[in-house]
Amino acid sequence: MFKLFKKDLMLFFHDQRSVILTFLLPVILITLFAFAYGSLGSYDGRSEPVDLLVADLDRTRSSKNIIYKIDSLEDIRIIVSDVNKSKELVIKGEYACALIIFEGFQDSLEAGHSGPIELVYDRSREMEIGILQQNVMSILMSATGEIIVKKSIEKYLQDQFPDIDKSTSDNILRTALNDNNNTIAIKWTSVVGEKNDTKLGLIQAVAGTAILMLLFSVAGVGTSILEEKENGTINRLLYSPLKGSTILYSKMLFAFFISILQLTAMFLFAWLILSMDMSVNIPGLIFMIIATSFAVSSLGIFLAAVVKTRQQAQNLSTIIILVMSAIGGSMIPLFVMPTILQKIALLSVNYWGIQGFYDLFWRVLPLEEILPKILILMSIGLIMTLASVQLFKKRIMKL
Amino acid sequence: MIQVRSVSKSFGNIEALCDVSFNINKGEIFGILGPNGAGKSTIVNILNTLVRPDEGDVIIDGVNIKDDGETIKLIMGVVPQEIALYEELSAYENLMFWGGLYETPKQELKKNVIKTLEIVDLVSRKDDRIKTFSGGMKRRINIACSLLHNPKILVLDEPTVGVDPQNRNHIFEVIERLNNEGMTIIYTTHYMEEAERFCDNIAIIDVGRIIAQGTLKELKQISNVNDLLTIKLAAADNETITRITSENPLFIYDSTSGTFKVECGNIGKDTSIIINQIQNSGGVIERIYSQGTNLEFIYLKLTGKKLRD
Repeated sequence: MFKLFKKDLMLFFHDQRSVILTFLLPVILITLFAFAYGSLGSYDGRSEPVDLLVADLDRTRSSKNIIYKIDSLEDIRIIVSDVNKSKELVIKGEYACALIIFEGFQDSLEAGHSGPIELVYDRSREMEIGILQQNVMSILMSATGEIIVKKSIEKYLQDQFPDIDKSTSDNILRTALNDNNNTIAIKWTSVVGEKNDTKLGLIQAVAGTAILMLLFSVAGVGTSILEEKENGTINRLLYSPLKGSTILYSKMLFAFFISILQLTAMFLFAWLILSMDMSVNIPGLIFMIIATSFAVSSLGIFLAAVVKTRQQAQNLSTIIILVMSAIGGSMIPLFVMPTILQKIALLSVNYWGIQGFYDLFWRVLPLEEILPKILILMSIGLIMTLASVQLFKKRIMKL
Repeated sequence: MIQVRSVSKSFGNIEALCDVSFNINKGEIFGILGPNGAGKSTIVNILNTLVRPDEGDVIIDGVNIKDDGETIKLIMGVVPQEIALYEELSAYENLMFWGGLYETPKQELKKNVIKTLEIVDLVSRKDDRIKTFSGGMKRRINIACSLLHNPKILVLDEPTVGVDPQNRNHIFEVIERLNNEGMTIIYTTHYMEEAERFCDNIAIIDVGRIIAQGTLKELKQISNVNDLLTIKLAAADNETITRITSENPLFIYDSTSGTFKVECGNIGKDTSIIINQIQNSGGVIERIYSQGTNLEFIYLKLTGKKLRD
């Protein structure tokens, strides 16, 4: 088996195109995706502040107070503008959202009504809108709610107790609103990704791209079995004292080895060039590389086993790899996908691999916590291997 | 050396071989002649133990292939019809790889590789990648890869397909050299001139059945094919032609070539008689030539079709 393995290695390294596709192309893609996900430079795991256009037509204490509170948020940067310009800039796509506080805002609140206020936004910029919605709404609710409640109590006291003196009235209001504790103060604490310096986007770029490219590489190894069948070298190997199973297992071993080599090279690149911290869990990383390589290489061989010709293998592999990578999170991070797709993603090798690397580098989980994902990857590999052996015995090794 | 006894093999509903029997003596070149799809490759695969016959026995060097396939593989070299080489590797790397599958000690293998490269006359190209070789050179390396474990029997499955005349002659010389050194050779082909050139015995196979086998002389007798004499007259007017054919009914006039054709049992004895008969009928001979029986006639006679159909 070692002689066949050595021969495949020689063939691989003689073929410059294969080497480039296996190592250089993934490196380029990882770098591109890392930039695309904003994980290089000053990025520290949190998003850049989202710009919010604000047009304040009311110019009262209440409106200024709201703008001040929003501006004090880390995630939002206020850009002052007027109504028409704000709407125009959102329509042109230069900004995701504009907050318009109309004249009479404070009066309306003091009358116990909700103030005339409007958020205009671009629906296509879901992520930015999500950040704005969460932050702006909480400030608006607390700030406007306080004024409305205060005015409602004052009105009630005046109606029911017209003779009440001012100090008693103020005491009642202070007690009712509990001074500055009138809203529920929620402390927001980030607990994921705080233990290391690795950037979320970088992990996504490295793990997602590495697994995607790995699938293409091992599909190539699988296809090479059909190529050898077509050009007669498999038959010639069978003329020798070698057993058919030895030929198949040597191909599987080669695919597994190339997968480990490629994944290791990708993570080394991420460590040395993109400053990804590899030291968080070395045993976990080794197990994840082995399990992912086993699952992906078995899948590549399986794809070659279910078809009859090299052309079929190339077409089928391309379709399956692209679909699986798309739904499994190699191309687009899973958290931006709809829930249904996130559930379908469980069927892909990419999902388990990428989530395993997330656990490792982002959530910084210990090995025992990553173990279930490692076992799932190993199980996928085992099932694919057993199925491939049966299919190859029937189809490929048959003369 | 090899006894094939009543071997039959079917693949699903397709009967690839039916009751095939033949013997091959040690040191002979045995030709298996037949068109594509006749069953030649199935015979090769059965001899090499890759395909198990449904019925019958094959004994090679005293070993039944059903009992000990591994031993058979060690004493047999098979040159496949395809150029089964790794194009990205050099000739030397290919030879080292294919020879290495037979557990030959490395030093001995290295010597065998160089010796084999000398046999196929490609020592000077040993470090070049196979993809830079011509078709004929690839064929020669294809043969060399099957010689590295010093097999007693060499099976060549259509080794000259797509090879230019110069390389073809080179391959013939290699085969003759190996045979002179005592190697038993099984040679499948659909080129009759190749079988005629060096096969001691020939089996003609068609649709999975051996329709005739023996030496060329024996095949000639079996098929009852005679030599052919062709006569061209100096002036072949209609009157002369009619007179000759009516007086000599065995003379057939071929209007396309303008010649008379006569089959002869013994061309040496019959030629003077035929010349006399033509002259007696008033014919003046311009040219006369004979054509000996070849495998093409025999095959045509036995199967009723041309081999390359």
